[in-house]
Amino acid sequence: MANKSKSTRPQNVTPEMVLKYTKPTDKFLCPLSLNKYIEFLEFRIRDMESSKVVFEVKRPSVEINWKERDLSGGDELRTIAYTFPVDFLSYKTVGTTLVFAVCPEGIQNFRMIERHYFKGKLLKSFDFTFGYCIPNSVNTWEAVYSLPELTEKQVQEMVDNPGSTLSDSFYFVDDRLIMHNKASYSYS
Amino acid sequence: MGLLTVLKKLKQKEKEIRILMLGLDNAGKTTILKRINGEDISTISPTLGFNIKTLVHNGYKLNIWDVGGQKSIRSYWRNYFEQTDGLVWVVDSADRPDRLEDCRRELHSLLLEERLAGASLLIFANKQDLSGALSYEQIEELLDLRSIQTHHWHIIGCSAVTGANLLAGMDWIVSDIASRIYMLE
Repeated sequence: MANKSKSTRPQNVTPEMVLKYTKPTDKFLCPLSLNKYIEFLEFRIRDMESSKVVFEVKRPSVEINWKERDLSGGDELRTIAYTFPVDFLSYKTVGTTLVFAVCPEGIQNFRMIERHYFKGKLLKSFDFTFGYCIPNSVNTWEAVYSLPELTEKQVQEMVDNPGSTLSDSFYFVDDRLIMHNKASYSYS
Repeated sequence: MGLLTVLKKLKQKEKEIRILMLGLDNAGKTTILKRINGEDISTISPTLGFNIKTLVHNGYKLNIWDVGGQKSIRSYWRNYFEQTDGLVWVVDSADRPDRLEDCRRELHSLLLEERLAGASLLIFANKQDLSGALSYEQIEELLDLRSIQTHHWHIIGCSAVTGANLLAGMDWIVSDIASRIYMLE
């Protein structure tokens, strides 16, 4: 079981370190079992011009049993492959919404850093400090931002290279890495 | 602080503004937040934590924090005071007299908080679309706003349902904060 998950030791991975990364990491930087704090409930993307939700995933609404959560399993649990319609690349402004539940103990300082790359080059970096999270709370964060305008050639390049748009999401509790997820994006 | 230092600070801070939106439960905080952002407001349930919006408004990056207003959650409000540039206090203008008294008390106790000392204060007299709603002048009176000497404040009647005056209110608080923090531009 132990060799099912590719990850290095959790200590010493700091926000400052991951903010300096210029390409996706080779491995996961912490084990899945460290996340005793949060559970994602929803993620959606809104095109701000039409205000339409263009992508949505929801966790089935089953009550979370914080004492007996299954934190085992392989890396497939933290690797997501998104396939979006090509239209996505033409949106000017989008809103991404994350909904998450917090453990009964609450969190003193919660921070998320997300790095997006195309062909090993940094496209965008999010760094958001949620700070304190109330015990047993359900919280929502929507980030509304403009997308870089892409040329036709760039769009074609992204469509033609489905495995080359990647992101690393790092979640820190009190500056300690507790979760690391990876995603790949393809457009068709 | 010399002009050069000021300019440097401007550049470094990327013009970020933190706004905290509070008020009693069912005042309409989440509906206001969603309405401002063109989101669907037909199904809104009580906030059991926070809702944050990060957006750009008039060239400023705003982080608006809406924290739940239920009595059991109010004791956690203080965890969100740090670095707040503006406080938006939302009032249900059609609320019962005893609740409006709670509303007055909660607001005035917030104004004693040291970490909110520098914050601009906007009061949204919400739910003006309801027939039983008090006017913003009456809310001003009931909340004893005239006694506030410690904060820049402004009250405006609004409706999260129709959208009336929401942007006018946000414009006021953003420009009040900007004129204090980032000097006149």
